[in-house]
Amino acid sequence: MKIPIEFVVNGEPQALFVKPNHTLLDVLRDDLGLLGAKKGCGEGKCGTCTVIMDGKPVNSCLILAPRADGSDIITVEGLADGEPHPMQKAFVEQGAVQCGFCTPGMIMTACALLDEKSDPSEEEIRLALSGNLCRCTGYAKIVEAVQVCAQRIQQDKGA
Amino acid sequence: MRIKPFEYHAASDLREAVQMLSEEGADARALAGGTDLVLAMKHKAVLPKKVVSLHRITEMAAINTEGDEIKIGALATHSELAAHLELQKVVPILCQAVSLIGSWQIRNSATIGGNLAHASPAADSAAPLLALDATLVTTSPSGDENIPLASFFSGPGATILHPGQIIKEIIILRPQGRSSGRYLKLMRKRAVDLSQAGVAFQAELDPAGEKLAKVAIGLGGMAPTPIRAPEAEGMLEGLSCAEALKKIPSVARAVVAATSPIDDIRASAAYRKLVAEAFFKQAAQEVLTSLTAG
Amino acid sequence: MPKIQIVGRSYPQIDGMEKATGRTRFASDIKLAGMLHARVLRSPYPHARILNIDTSRAKALPGVKAVVTYADTPGIKFGPRSDDWTIFADDKVRFCGDEVAAVAAVDEDTAEEALELIRVEYEELPFVESPLEALKPGAPLVHEDHPGNVAAEFKVEAGDVDRALANSHVVCEESFYTNQTYQAYLEPMGAVADVDLAGRITLYAGNQIPSMIRVPYAKALGLTLDQVRVVLPDYGGGFGAKMETNTHLVAMLLAQKTGRPVRHFNTRHDDFIAGNPRVPMYIDIKLGADKEGVITGKEVKVIGDAGARIVYSQIIVATACYRVDSLYRFKNVRAKGITAYTNTVPTSCFRGFGNTQATFVLESAMDILAHKLGMDPAEMRVKNSIGPDSVSVHGWKINSCGLKECVEEATKMSGWAEKKAKKRPLKGIGLSCCNHVSGNRAFAREFDGGAGIVRIGRDGRISVYHGESDMGQGQKTVYAQIAAETLGVPLDWVSVMQVDTDISPWGFGSFATRGTLMGGNGVLAASKDAFIKLAQVAADMMESNVDDVVCEGGRFYVKGSPDKSLDFKEVALNATDSNHGSPVMGTGFYDPPTVLPDPKTKQGNISPAYPFGCQIAEVEVDPTTGKVTVTNFVAAHDVGRAINPMALEGQIQGGVAQGLGWTLMENMVTNKGKVANANFLDYLIPTALDMPPVEPKLIEPYEPNGPYGAKGIGEPAINPTMSAITNAIYDATGVRITELPVSPEKLLAEMEKLKGSHEG
Ligand SMILES: Cc1cc2nc3c(=O)[nH]c(=O)nc-3n(C[C@H](O)[C@H](O)[C@H](O)COP(=O)(O)OP(=O)(O)OC[C@H]3O[C@@H](n4cnc5c(N)ncnc54)[C@H](O)[C@@H]3O)c2cc1C
Ligand code: FES
Ligand code: FES
Repeated sequence: MKIPIEFVVNGEPQALFVKPNHTLLDVLRDDLGLLGAKKGCGEGKCGTCTVIMDGKPVNSCLILAPRADGSDIITVEGLADGEPHPMQKAFVEQGAVQCGFCTPGMIMTACALLDEKSDPSEEEIRLALSGNLCRCTGYAKIVEAVQVCAQRIQQDKGA
Repeated sequence: MRIKPFEYHAASDLREAVQMLSEEGADARALAGGTDLVLAMKHKAVLPKKVVSLHRITEMAAINTEGDEIKIGALATHSELAAHLELQKVVPILCQAVSLIGSWQIRNSATIGGNLAHASPAADSAAPLLALDATLVTTSPSGDENIPLASFFSGPGATILHPGQIIKEIIILRPQGRSSGRYLKLMRKRAVDLSQAGVAFQAELDPAGEKLAKVAIGLGGMAPTPIRAPEAEGMLEGLSCAEALKKIPSVARAVVAATSPIDDIRASAAYRKLVAEAFFKQAAQEVLTSLTAG
Repeated sequence: MPKIQIVGRSYPQIDGMEKATGRTRFASDIKLAGMLHARVLRSPYPHARILNIDTSRAKALPGVKAVVTYADTPGIKFGPRSDDWTIFADDKVRFCGDEVAAVAAVDEDTAEEALELIRVEYEELPFVESPLEALKPGAPLVHEDHPGNVAAEFKVEAGDVDRALANSHVVCEESFYTNQTYQAYLEPMGAVADVDLAGRITLYAGNQIPSMIRVPYAKALGLTLDQVRVVLPDYGGGFGAKMETNTHLVAMLLAQKTGRPVRHFNTRHDDFIAGNPRVPMYIDIKLGADKEGVITGKEVKVIGDAGARIVYSQIIVATACYRVDSLYRFKNVRAKGITAYTNTVPTSCFRGFGNTQATFVLESAMDILAHKLGMDPAEMRVKNSIGPDSVSVHGWKINSCGLKECVEEATKMSGWAEKKAKKRPLKGIGLSCCNHVSGNRAFAREFDGGAGIVRIGRDGRISVYHGESDMGQGQKTVYAQIAAETLGVPLDWVSVMQVDTDISPWGFGSFATRGTLMGGNGVLAASKDAFIKLAQVAADMMESNVDDVVCEGGRFYVKGSPDKSLDFKEVALNATDSNHGSPVMGTGFYDPPTVLPDPKTKQGNISPAYPFGCQIAEVEVDPTTGKVTVTNFVAAHDVGRAINPMALEGQIQGGVAQGLGWTLMENMVTNKGKVANANFLDYLIPTALDMPPVEPKLIEPYEPNGPYGAKGIGEPAINPTMSAITNAIYDATGVRITELPVSPEKLLAEMEKLKGSHEG
């Protein structure tokens, strides 16, 4: 029934037995106790379950658990490195967090975007985030937060 | 919304994959990105006994643009295709179409093979690939078989693939003359929506660069399967761009005549037709103008 | 008094970093030892008699701990404001999604598998989907004891409407329809219920009314009020929907049956089909004005769709009948509202509470009249605007009112005058105003107001207890700001405690834009009480008079000599030690000067303060697809004094996004009694790409009844959005939108018709 998988989550190697009919989201939340990724729909349609898999943001609710074998996963819990990630700071400071249920997924996508493109335009930010629904903020402050974070990272690099 | 138990295998090569799939017959499913299959399993729309993941078969994800035959592995994701520099040059219409699929997250998992095999009438890669005269290379325990995409779909959600047969790669012939293409997609929001109507217009000039050697019109969401509009194409082939530009309105009517869309909660048939006509005009205008401009 | 330092400044949410790092435990993250998982079997039919339910096979499935149906409930009828609920369907199901049975099992997989083993025999009955059909003679009855499917009626009249309309220079007579929309909070509804050996239930639920839900829940389960405790974790949005729901009761009942904690959360699909979407309304309006554009009279008829049972729909319909009458200087108004039962999902609160629907209608009619009169729509609003220190036609006392300033600012920011003057094809600009409340006296009859408890520990840590509900709007932060300001300490010394009905004050909760004003005043009163108590200790320590003692930045000093100060924490330590460990406890409440409307005349004063706003939308219409793009948006809102400007801006931007979604894309489609688009791909809510820039502007008149002069923002943020956009569409195309949402196909057809009529 259960099959073994080995993968790296937030830098830590994990060896688990998983049910094939469970998803990566189930494994993260139920087996590993990483509750940062949320289940807003379970259908790939809201983005709250977004994690970074092998460098790319994906909907963990649509990934079968055994498919995670051999992969490298980063969840919102894995971003903070001693202190919060600049994106997390920017979200909080800019008021991009209201209820916060979309926030972990949103932040994962935003971080992946800046990894790919360090100075995205507003349109590029909005496009990249369009798979992450937010019902509270109207997105304005989320977009600002990503812009602020991008600027800060640029400045830090320059300095 | 929970998935029923099933047996899972990650095939290590093509042979193993098709072997495992054919053993179970119709009760087995190939798994690519899973964005259609996992959802269908959650909805209990499909209840496979066995799921064979293809993701370890790395050769199936390769994109090869070197020869006259452009080869796209079935496991190439929409993100990879959209960002592929050579494809952007040679078949921009395909990159453009797949860049409009779902969300970034979906495109990072979802594959072109899955998009075709799922056979949604509105699949966004289908209309441009039809317009590019794509051929599918399939594999089964009895060997490889080439299937022109034009004869691949047999109905909404249905293809002529038999159990144990999978798409290995997609072949597109490199356009010989100067070519241009455009895909327009009707969505209800600016992003992350299934297509209510997709219009692909691809045109290629003869070697002299004077006449339209090839015109292809692919349509998604306008019939039980993705279709071409051969009569409309015929009206333009052999013309110069200037001549063709003039004929756009009548050709647009012929395009619509080729369609048989449905009314559903996403859009009415009448609206789909109306927009398809307008999109065709816009796509044709842009493509022909760009070819004229040289 | 020291100058105001913390109130009025933009602070991030006090628990924002917890949320951003994934540490916040939302309702759906709660796990208790031994917890079981529940699933509900829902009716596949809109209306059917239940002939038989066989749960034996489900019960026999290994891992299943309980299977329950109506037969396992006390069979008591209940409801938030009615008696038409049962925990599961009794003899018949009344909508697709009605609860029929539920399973608790060791995991979700097993629970879901068990559902498939429950056999239900139904006899399908004729059903009714539309309230207009439901009110016709001979329509199938949703509840046999409600003849004609009339769930409730409401009437209000003031002045002489007939004469006013007859004597008008222009009259707009138009019929509108506002559709059913879904709140689409990102965390579905659900709860974890736990039960102790004495049978006392603790419900962990993301809920807007943690105290009030206990009343119907206790009744439904045949318990006394004290046997139901509610604990309120953080949760992922509500927007009006997260009030009473059988989703919670299922968990509670199963916890009772199994003696174990039970978790039950709706799948997103179930949340769509059995949540509490917005009340659809048919609204007919007659609105008259004289030559100068002064409104003469208004008559409306509202037919609202309750769905299969009443949550709060009848109060929402009543609200649609008359709340908007305090926006302008109305003198003659009449309204009649009917709330009808149908075999569809029960409807309820959604940001704006009926005033959204009414505002869409009134502000469309105002636009129509302005055009008939050839008058600037903005000018017409200003001309009729209710002013500060005035009394509305229904007796409501308006203290602060920045409506005119809102119109002025919004028109200035958007370049209204120039854009109105220069007509560009397929581009348009539209304006709409709104009013709202900060609390609703008519909602809960027992009392009105808010309360707080402020505890100062021996360590000087300040804990604020309230009974409202932070669903993400940042209420906790506002309460912390009020407490910190009042006590004179840094913000991060204050914790705002989780609502636990065993500890927290009884609060009515978060609805009616009441959180800041009511809850804030409660926290303010408690903070003042705590301050006096601690200041007394400080005064004693400094051998001074308590009236002369102030605290600033966490240091007490005697007025005039700030250099000789005492550490707040030292005073707290001293206070607790001299009280043998008892912390300093401040309690307090706010009794608002509201007046319950007279049952007959409806004269009253339902809120201590009334916020106002004006929004302006700019649109562009695509002539090939009929699609409308909102290109720019400004929103000026009278919020009273802003306690946290950034949070207010976020509320405005979020409200506008929901209004934009409603206007352009959101629609629950029911087909043969079933919701046909119960998912986020077909129920469309705006993505980041769909949103234009939304520029908020805060207008801040001091509200004497508000804490530090504040009013509220939650609901006003959406009220004017729909008509701002549809009035802009009219400006762009000449097509008057009378039905939401705007269908591109229909808009295109109407544009064609207009073209035809111009050419012909
Ligand atoms: C939120 C969301 C949005 C979406 N938006 C769009 C959109 O805008 N446009 C669009 O076209 N689609 C859209 N889709 C559908 C889906 O993402 C695509 O069809 C995707 O390309 C499917 O690929 P996959 O790799 O995920 O396929 P899978 O789910 O892995 O497979 C789909 C089907 O194809 C079969 N299959 C997969 N690979 C092969 C193969 N190589 N040979 C034979 N059979 C195979 C599987 O057995 C299965 O039956 C959306 C889906 C979601 C969830
Ligand atoms: S939970 Fe995965 S996208 Fe919604
Ligand atoms: S902050 Fe609530 S959904 Fe985004």
